[in-house]
Amino acid sequence: MDTLFILEPLLTAIVVAPGVLFLAIATLWLLGWTPPERFIARTAAALYSAMAAAVVVLCVLMLRAGQDSLYVMHGAWFRVGEYSFPLLIFVDRLSLPLILLTVALVGITGSFSVRYLHRDVGFLRFFLLMHLFAFGALLVFTAGSYDLLLGGWELVGFTSVFLIGFFTGRREPVRNAIRVFATYRIADLGLMTAVFVLHHSAGSALYPTLFQGVWPAQTSALNTGAATLAGLLLLLGASGKSAQVPFSGWLPRAMEGPTPSSAIFYGAISVHIGAYLLLRSEPVLRQAPFAAAAVVLVGCATALLGTLAHRTSNDVKTSLAYAAMTQLGVIFMEIGFGFTWLALLHIVGHACVRTMQFLRAPSLLHDHHGLHAAAGGHLEPTGLHWEKLVPAPARAWLYRAGLERGFLDSLTDRFLIEPGLNLAWILLYFERPARPAESDPAPATRPATETR
Amino acid sequence: MSYNRSTEAVSIFYTADRDHGHLRHVVNHLAHLLPAQGPIGVFIHHNTLHAFQHLPFEQAVVEASAIYGTQPYMTEEAFRAQIANGRIRTEDITAILDLEPNVPILTGPSPLDRRGLRQAMILPGMRPTAEDTIEWHLSEGGLIESAADSRLFSACSRPELESERDPQIPQRPHDGMLAHFGIDLDGMVNPLLTRLAGAFLDQGVAYWPMPERERGFLHAAYAALRQPYCVLPKGLHLLPVILRWHDAAQLNAETIVGEALRALGAVSHDWENFLRGELLALPGWAGMIWRLQEEPELAPHQPLPSVLMEFLAVRMTLVLAAVSGVDGHPRIWQSPIARKSSKAQRLLRDATFFQAAKSAGIPAEVLENLPRRQMTLFHREVFEFGDLERRRILQLAYERRHERQILLPLCQHRQRGTGPPAAKRPSAQAFFCIDEREESIRRQWEELDPTIETFGAAGFFGVAMDYCGVDDAHGVALCPVVVKPQHKVHERPAEGHAHTLARRRLLRKRLSRWQRGAGISTRTLFRGWLSTVVLGVFSLIPLAARVLSPRHYARLIHQLNQWLLPEPRTELAFHRAPEQHPEGLLPGFTITEKVERVAGVLAAAGLVKDMSRLVLILGHGSTSLNNPHESAHDCGACGGRRGGPNARLFAAMANHPQVRAGLLEKGVYIPQDTWFVGGYHDTCNDDADLLDLHLVPSTHTQELARVRASLDLARQWSAHERARLFEAASGTITPAAALRHMQERAEHLAEPRPEYGHCTNAVTIVGRRAATKGLFFDRRAFLVSYDPTIDPDDSNLAKVLGAVIPVCGGISLEYYFSFVDNEGYGCGTKLPHNITGLHGVMNGYESDLRTGLPWQMVEIHEPVRNLFIVESTPQRVLTTIHASPLLTEFLENRWIRLAVLDPAGAGIQMYRGSGVFEPVSGTDETLPTAASSVEWYQGHMEHLPVARIESLAGVR
Repeated sequence: MDTLFILEPLLTAIVVAPGVLFLAIATLWLLGWTPPERFIARTAAALYSAMAAAVVVLCVLMLRAGQDSLYVMHGAWFRVGEYSFPLLIFVDRLSLPLILLTVALVGITGSFSVRYLHRDVGFLRFFLLMHLFAFGALLVFTAGSYDLLLGGWELVGFTSVFLIGFFTGRREPVRNAIRVFATYRIADLGLMTAVFVLHHSAGSALYPTLFQGVWPAQTSALNTGAATLAGLLLLLGASGKSAQVPFSGWLPRAMEGPTPSSAIFYGAISVHIGAYLLLRSEPVLRQAPFAAAAVVLVGCATALLGTLAHRTSNDVKTSLAYAAMTQLGVIFMEIGFGFTWLALLHIVGHACVRTMQFLRAPSLLHDHHGLHAAAGGHLEPTGLHWEKLVPAPARAWLYRAGLERGFLDSLTDRFLIEPGLNLAWILLYFERPARPAESDPAPATRPATETR
Repeated sequence: MSYNRSTEAVSIFYTADRDHGHLRHVVNHLAHLLPAQGPIGVFIHHNTLHAFQHLPFEQAVVEASAIYGTQPYMTEEAFRAQIANGRIRTEDITAILDLEPNVPILTGPSPLDRRGLRQAMILPGMRPTAEDTIEWHLSEGGLIESAADSRLFSACSRPELESERDPQIPQRPHDGMLAHFGIDLDGMVNPLLTRLAGAFLDQGVAYWPMPERERGFLHAAYAALRQPYCVLPKGLHLLPVILRWHDAAQLNAETIVGEALRALGAVSHDWENFLRGELLALPGWAGMIWRLQEEPELAPHQPLPSVLMEFLAVRMTLVLAAVSGVDGHPRIWQSPIARKSSKAQRLLRDATFFQAAKSAGIPAEVLENLPRRQMTLFHREVFEFGDLERRRILQLAYERRHERQILLPLCQHRQRGTGPPAAKRPSAQAFFCIDEREESIRRQWEELDPTIETFGAAGFFGVAMDYCGVDDAHGVALCPVVVKPQHKVHERPAEGHAHTLARRRLLRKRLSRWQRGAGISTRTLFRGWLSTVVLGVFSLIPLAARVLSPRHYARLIHQLNQWLLPEPRTELAFHRAPEQHPEGLLPGFTITEKVERVAGVLAAAGLVKDMSRLVLILGHGSTSLNNPHESAHDCGACGGRRGGPNARLFAAMANHPQVRAGLLEKGVYIPQDTWFVGGYHDTCNDDADLLDLHLVPSTHTQELARVRASLDLARQWSAHERARLFEAASGTITPAAALRHMQERAEHLAEPRPEYGHCTNAVTIVGRRAATKGLFFDRRAFLVSYDPTIDPDDSNLAKVLGAVIPVCGGISLEYYFSFVDNEGYGCGTKLPHNITGLHGVMNGYESDLRTGLPWQMVEIHEPVRNLFIVESTPQRVLTTIHASPLLTEFLENRWIRLAVLDPAGAGIQMYRGSGVFEPVSGTDETLPTAASSVEWYQGHMEHLPVARIESLAGVR
C-alpha cells in the first residue's frame, strides 16, 4: 500500500517531534547557549503548526484509505529471554482525536505562553517542559502497549510536578509540587502493578495481543479474575492522574504554576489521561463488571465532591479546578457504564472549554464588570434552588464540607501522612541509632535586612 | 486531652472592661499597619507606608522594614550595578557624604576620617557576605587573597568582643513553636482562615455564598466551624472544645481575643507586640477586612459587616486550638529561644571589619599598634555604617544624579529660550490629564502640528461628581479619593432616543443573562455535563481566534455589538436651578457652580484669554485583559476610574452661554467662536473618542475634522514611542503598525503588560507649558499647567499643589516600594495570580491576599521619590505648602523632593529642608538636542535623558 508508506513515518514524526525539539534545545542549552525568547517562540510555533497539519493529513489519508488503525513497529528496546519491550506505536479511532486535541491545545497554549511568560526567568524552562509534556502525552495516546504508555505517563507526571513548582522562589509552590508528586507516585503504583498483572496473566502488555477487534468493540482474552484485578489497579492509576476520589486534593494545589500550565495540564490534557487509560482498557472493564462498577462509584463520588467544592470555591482557579473535577467524575461514570463514544466526546469538549476558561481566568474582573453593568447592576443570585430543596442544617454541613474540600486533605494529613511520618521516625532508629531526633526549624520569614 | 486549665476560665473572666478598652485601642492602632488597598476593581495608588508618613522618609523605611521584614531600599548589588553603568557617579556619593558631619578616626601615618572611611566602604565597597557563606568566602571565595590580607585579617580579629546574645523571647506562638518543636502554626491556621475569610468576603465568584455572613465574620465562621461530623485539619482537633466553651460563655469578639490572649499567657503590655505578629501573619486578608470595616461602600457588589476584631477573634481561636493541640498546654510556646553566638557570626563581624580596613587602605601594622581606645572607635565607626546606612547614602546619591539629570537640562533649555510666541491664533488647544503617560502624545502632537497648544490639568477637570452612564449599573464617584462628590450627574437618552435606549438595555440584559448562564452551566454537574458534551468542542474556535489573533477577534466582537446593540444619542443631565436643595447628592450644578469649576481649571492653567476656536478636553482611562490591576492604569484623579464623562461635562459647561457670561466676570474670556469638545483617551490602546460631535456648530466641523486627523496621527506616533519599550513590537515598526500593536496588547488574553502604566514616573512639573515645551521627558513627567503670573494670592497654586502632591507623590511612592521589595510591598509576579472573590488576587490556590503592584508593572521603574518642580518663587511655594499639614508632611518628611523654577529667569533652586533652598548649577549634565522625538528614541529600550527637540523649540 502506497499510503502506508507515508503514514508510518508521518505518525512517528508527529510523536517524536516535540521530544526532538526538547532534546535539541536542552542540548544547546547544556552546551552553554541560552536561546533567545524569539527563537523559542518561533520554533514552538513552527513545530505545532507543522504537527497540526501533519495530524490533519494523517486523518485524511487514513479516512481515504478506510483504515481504522495504524501500527508502526520500531523494533524492540531490549529483549530478555522470551520477553521483549517492543516499541510499537499506533493510532486508532480513540487516539486520533486525542492527538489532534493535544497538538491543537498545546499549540494554542504555547502561543499564549510566549506573551504570558515574556521576560520571566523561567521562559526557557517552561517551553522545555511543555515540549517534553507534549511528547509524553502523545506517547501515552499512541503507545501500542501498556509498557510504552507508562513511559509517556511518567513524563507527563514529572513535567506536571516541575511546572507546579515553577516559582521556586516561594515555599508554597515547591511544597505543593512535592505533594502532587507523592500523590502521583502512589497512584502510579497501581498502573505499574497492573502492567505486571497483565504480563503475568496474558503474557504481554501489547494491545494487539491483549485485545481483539476494533475499538470500542474489542474483546480481551483475560479471565475475569485477572481482568478485575487489572481493572482495579488501572483505576487506581487513572484516579491519581485524573484527580478522582480519594486523590482529588492535589488538583487545586496544582494551581500554583503559571496560568497556561494550569490550562493545558489541569484543564485540558493531563487530567484526561486517566480517562484515556480506562477508555483504552475498555475490554478489560467489560470483562470485569466489578471493576467497571468501581469506576462508576469512584466517578460518582468525584463528581459529587467536585460539584460540592466548586460551589463553595471563591477564587477563580480553585473554582475551575473543581468544576473540571466534576466533569472528570462524570467522564469516569460514562466509561464505567460503557458509553465509550460519549466519554470521548465529553473529554474533547471538556478539554476545549476548560482551556478557554483557564486562559481567561486572569480577565475575570474585566469580564464580570461588563456582565454586571449589562445586567443593570443586579445579577441573579445562584444556588437558590438548593436553599429551597435542602434543609438549613444540612446546607450548613454541606457548606462546611465543600469549604474543606470534602475533608480529603485533612484525612490524608492526619491518617496517612502523620502515621507515615511517625513510622518513618521509628524506622530511622534502626537506620542510625545515634542520631538525635532534631528537626530543622527553618525560619518562615525572609532573611533579615540588616546584619549590623 | 488536658484542656482543664482553660475551661476553668469559663467562670472567671479575667479580661475586664478596661482591658477591652485597651484591646480595642491596640487593635485600632495596629490596623494602620495593614495594607490600605481596597477591592482591586478600583485601584487607588497611595503611599504604601502611609502609616509611617509622620516620620522622615529614611527613618520610616527602616522602621517599616523591621516590622514587615522588607527591604527599605534597593539592595547594595542593585546600587552597585547602577554605579557600574554610570547612573550613580562618584561625585554623587562624595556630595552626599559631604552633607553629613565628619570626625577624624585615625591619626598618624595613615590618617582616616569618617568621610574617607564611608567613601571607601561604598567605593570600592564591601563584598556582600552572610553568616551562611562567610566560611566559604574566607577559605575558598577569595576574600583573603594574599599574606598581607591574612595579616590584616588577624589584626582585625577582636576575640575580646565575644558576647553571648540574649535569648530571644518569642513574639507570638508561631515563633516559639517553630523554634522549640519545628511546628509551623501558621501552616495549620492560615489555610483554614484564608478559606473562611475568602468565603466571607466573596463578592460573587462562589456559587453558594457563605451562609449567615450577613451577621458578621465571627458568626459565619463559627457557624461553619461548629458543624458536627467533620474531620478537622491537622493540629486543630481541639477546636470543637474551644468552640463549645465560647458558645457556653457566649463570648463576643473582644472577649474571645482577650480570653485567648490570657490563655496563651500574653501580658497586657505585650499585647501590641503579640497581636501585631498575628495580624501581619496574613496582612492582606486582615487589611481587606479592616478596609471594608472603615469604608463598607468599597465592597463592589455585596456590602458586608466586616470587623477586624472578629477576624482576629477567629484567628486567635484557631491559634489557641493549634497551640493547645500540641500537648494541651497553651503557654508552651513562651520559653525563650536560645541564640548561640556562633563562630560564623564572629567571622562575619571580623570579615566586615577587615573589608572596611582593607578598602580604606589601612595596613595591618597600623592596626596592630593601634591603642585599644582608638581601635574601639574605628570598630564602632565601621559598624555604624552598616548595610542599611550604605544603602541610604546610595539612594540619596541615586536621587541626586536624577535631580541633576532633570534640573540642569531644564535650566539650560530655559536659558536658550524658545522661539518667538506664535503670532497666529492656535488652531486648537487641548487639555490632557497631568498624567505622565500623556506627555508623549502632547509632545508628538505639538511636533506634528505646531498650531496645537496643549495643557495639563488633573483629569477630573475640576468636576467632582457621582456619575451614572446609560450603560452603567449605578453611579460612581469620578473625582480624587480625598474628595467626596456633592453632585450627581447622569447620562440620559437625548430627545426621541429613549426607545432606542430601552431596546439596547433589554438586549444587553438578555445577552448578559445568556453569557452568565453559559458560564455557570459549564461548571455545575448536570448542566456542565450537557454543555461540555454538546457545545464544548465549539469553544475551540473562539479560543484559537482570541489567542492567535486577538485584534481581529476584538474587531469582530465590536462589529457584532454594533450590529446587535442600537446606540442611542445621549446627553448629560447636569443643570440645576439655584433654588433646588434636595437631601443627599445635589442633582447637577447651578450656573454659579459651573462657572466656579470651569474658571478653576482654565485660570489655574493660565488659559484666560487668546483661546482658539476649538478647545479639546480629553479625559483618560485604560482598557486591558489579563489584568486584575486594570484599574491601576485608569485615571488617578478620577479615583481609579475613567475620566471621559468629566471631560464631556466640562466641555458642555464651558459651552453654556450663561456660564461664559459668568466666566467673564471672573476674568476668563471665552470668545464667541470658541467651542469646547470633550473626549476620552485610552492610554492602553491609544484610542481617542471625541464626544457630542453632533453639537459642534457647522462652522467648526471642518476645522474639527482637520484637528481630529492630526490627533490621529499623534496617536500613532505616541504609540510608536511607547512601542520602543516592548520587545514584541519590532524596532522598525511603522507608526500605524505601532498603533495596531497597542490595540492588540489591550485585547490580548495573555498580555501581562498591556501598558507600563505609571512605571516610568519620576518628576512632576507645575508650571507653564513654555517651560517644558520642546523637551523630551520620555513619558516620565507629570505636567501640570499652572501660570504663576495670574495668581496673585497663590490660591490657584494651593489648589493645584493640594491635588498633585498627594496624587503624584502617592503614585510615585507606591511604585517605589513595590519596586524595591516586590514580594514584600508589591504582589510579586503576575503569572501565578488567581483572582479571589472579585476583590483581590492570591498566589496559587490558597495564599494571603497580595497587595501592591505586580512585578510586570514596575520592572523598569527607577525608584526615586517624585521630584516636584514648581514655577514660582521659593517663598510663595513654601508658604503655600506650609499652609496645609498634609503637604507639609509630604515635603518636610522628605516623601517628595521639591525644586522651584524662577518664573522670570532661568534659575532653579532645590529645597534642602528647614526652609533652605539651594541654587542648582553645574555642567555635569548637558542638554542634548535632536531634530525630532523619533530621532531621539528610535532604537533605544532604556530610559532616555531629557533632550531638546529642535523642531518644537522653534530654533530651527
